[in-house]
Amino acid sequence: MLELNRLSKRYGEVLALDECSFRVERGRMLGFLGPNGAGKTTAMRSVFNLVSLDDGSVTWRGRPVGQSERLHFGYMPEQRGLYPKMKIGRQLTYLGRIHGMTNTEAGAAAERWLEELGLSDRIADPLEKLSHGNQQRVQLAAALIHDPELMVLDEPFSGLDPFGVETMSEILRARAASGAAVVFSSHQLDMVEDLCQDVAIIHQGRVVMGGEVRRLKMDSPYWVIEVEMRTGDTERLSRLDSVVSVDFDGYRHRIVVRKGGDLSDLVSLLDLGGDVRHFTFSAPSLSELFREAVMG
Amino acid sequence: MTSWRAIRLVMGREVRERSRSGAFIVSVAITLLLVAAVLFLPLIFADDDVYYGVGVVGDGNQAVIDAAVALANPPGRELRTTIEAVSFASREAAERAADAEEVDGVLMDGREIVVRGAGGEAGGALVSLLQRGARSVQIESLVASGAGEVVDILTSQPLEVRSLSGADAEENNERSVIAFGGLMLLYMAVLLYGSLILSGVTEEKTNRVVEVLLAAFEPWQLLAGKILGIGLLGLCQFVGTVVIALVGINLTGVVDLPEFPIESMLMLVLWFILGYSLFAVMFGAAGALVSRAEDAQTVVAPISLVAVAGFFIAIQAVSNPTSTLSVVTTFIPPTAPFVAPVRFAFQAIPLWQMAVSVALMVLTVVVMTRLAGRVYLGGLLRFGSRVGIREAFRSAEL
Repeated sequence: MLELNRLSKRYGEVLALDECSFRVERGRMLGFLGPNGAGKTTAMRSVFNLVSLDDGSVTWRGRPVGQSERLHFGYMPEQRGLYPKMKIGRQLTYLGRIHGMTNTEAGAAAERWLEELGLSDRIADPLEKLSHGNQQRVQLAAALIHDPELMVLDEPFSGLDPFGVETMSEILRARAASGAAVVFSSHQLDMVEDLCQDVAIIHQGRVVMGGEVRRLKMDSPYWVIEVEMRTGDTERLSRLDSVVSVDFDGYRHRIVVRKGGDLSDLVSLLDLGGDVRHFTFSAPSLSELFREAVMG
Repeated sequence: MTSWRAIRLVMGREVRERSRSGAFIVSVAITLLLVAAVLFLPLIFADDDVYYGVGVVGDGNQAVIDAAVALANPPGRELRTTIEAVSFASREAAERAADAEEVDGVLMDGREIVVRGAGGEAGGALVSLLQRGARSVQIESLVASGAGEVVDILTSQPLEVRSLSGADAEENNERSVIAFGGLMLLYMAVLLYGSLILSGVTEEKTNRVVEVLLAAFEPWQLLAGKILGIGLLGLCQFVGTVVIALVGINLTGVVDLPEFPIESMLMLVLWFILGYSLFAVMFGAAGALVSRAEDAQTVVAPISLVAVAGFFIAIQAVSNPTSTLSVVTTFIPPTAPFVAPVRFAFQAIPLWQMAVSVALMVLTVVVMTRLAGRVYLGGLLRFGSRVGIREAFRSAEL
């Protein structure tokens, strides 16, 4: 288990991390969310000792993270980059070796990953000869080459086409299923909701919401009602006491209501006996939780 | 992973990838070509017959001159080397003639040779030629008498060389060639390999691979591995160049080297290692401060200036190895790598000065490595605009 414990870091006037804490369990995937500039990259870098923290500690299985622990971590930084002129096979072998593998092990792993990503025939090509999408694949292989027990990925889905997104999701799922702890940052909240069991939402250097996605949803003080009907007055709905907000997209009303509130006036207004074609009553989506957490 | 393993991995990559790159192979070829050109071009373009006028005083001169002419004109050689002997009544008269450039040198009693200055191409070649002539005369007389050690003669300098511009200038010509040649090589090597460090560090930062590397390595391991790897390549090339230059000198006889100057060579290698380490560390730290190659020139300007200053002070030391400036700069680490080997070539540096200079140098390299490691870490992950050195220093912990 990776644990970030009250991390603080100040860059001049800017407080990048303000007692930021969260944990990533083995066998699970955690989505690390937050608006731009919230401190995501700084927090992820601190796992690899790339940031000299003002305060706080990072531990792996209860022990402070040092160089030997980091050998079992895989990292995909936000700023992608490998050696452009180095042949990809040799490059991956080198990256395996710097994570403690022998030359033979690393060479075999490089071949295996290139095979898996459909790049076997490019093994002797320098990185710069590959297309953008294939370079991204090599970058992923670079983070996976040594079968890391922990994977930290900074915006792994940005810049990927739908096929790339699919490959990435599958591989990350497989890593988590085989017992690795996976944490990645993203702005694509739907994808996080789809992939991750846990989330941590960071805002202004502080984790403002975190935990299991399902639990967070259940613990939310709101319900979401989605209803599709011919009539329906958005104005009147939003004036009701139990209603927090109403969105109407031309087809459906999305109504956020307070838990435990009296919904009878709402129900009478919805005219459920009429021509309702769709009605759902559910917990809020991750997007709504995110907005709630960040906007306050 | 031990630090040594980490350093070795970085080092291995540098050596393998660089020695395979076209740019490196071209640079090696160019260096060797330059050395060869310097050594062999005078021979190739020596299309004129050579004429020397030598003033002679006393007896036993003609035998030396005849032997020298015979040696200079082996059968089958088209160009002729002529040495004309001009008799003088006294040493003074002959030296006056030499000073007035009426003759190229003066031979006295077949034992001593006087030339105008310490350096000078014609003087050097003439001295070399006469030395060989004198050796041959000695061997002949030895064979005739059937005694003595031939080897001693072969490796000795039978004629005493004196220069009109400096009384103690025996062997000054050869020494200044070694000192000057060594200095040039040292200067070129330190700047060439130093700038490879700079571009290597900037490159890793520019293509962002550095963040992946730093996730596994400590910054100082990355810097040390890079410096050692490029340094190893540089050292091989440097030693290779020096050896080829010395062998070439012996083969072509451009300069008369009585014995293989193994000490001077070891001294050059030592100072190459020290000088390279210091400049490499500084270049490495500078490289971490910039994100683009275009910005690199700005940050290295002060470092290059220091090297240039060291080079010019060392040139001054060639003619003045014991001046106050030469002595003082022996103890200043950035200039010491250039000045100290020059003074050593002239045997103008006491052992204690050399020891103190080396010790100061080692100390500086150690301190600079720590400081540079800190700047390196602080600068590496700041992309975009150039990072100030103070800013980089503060944002990283020692």
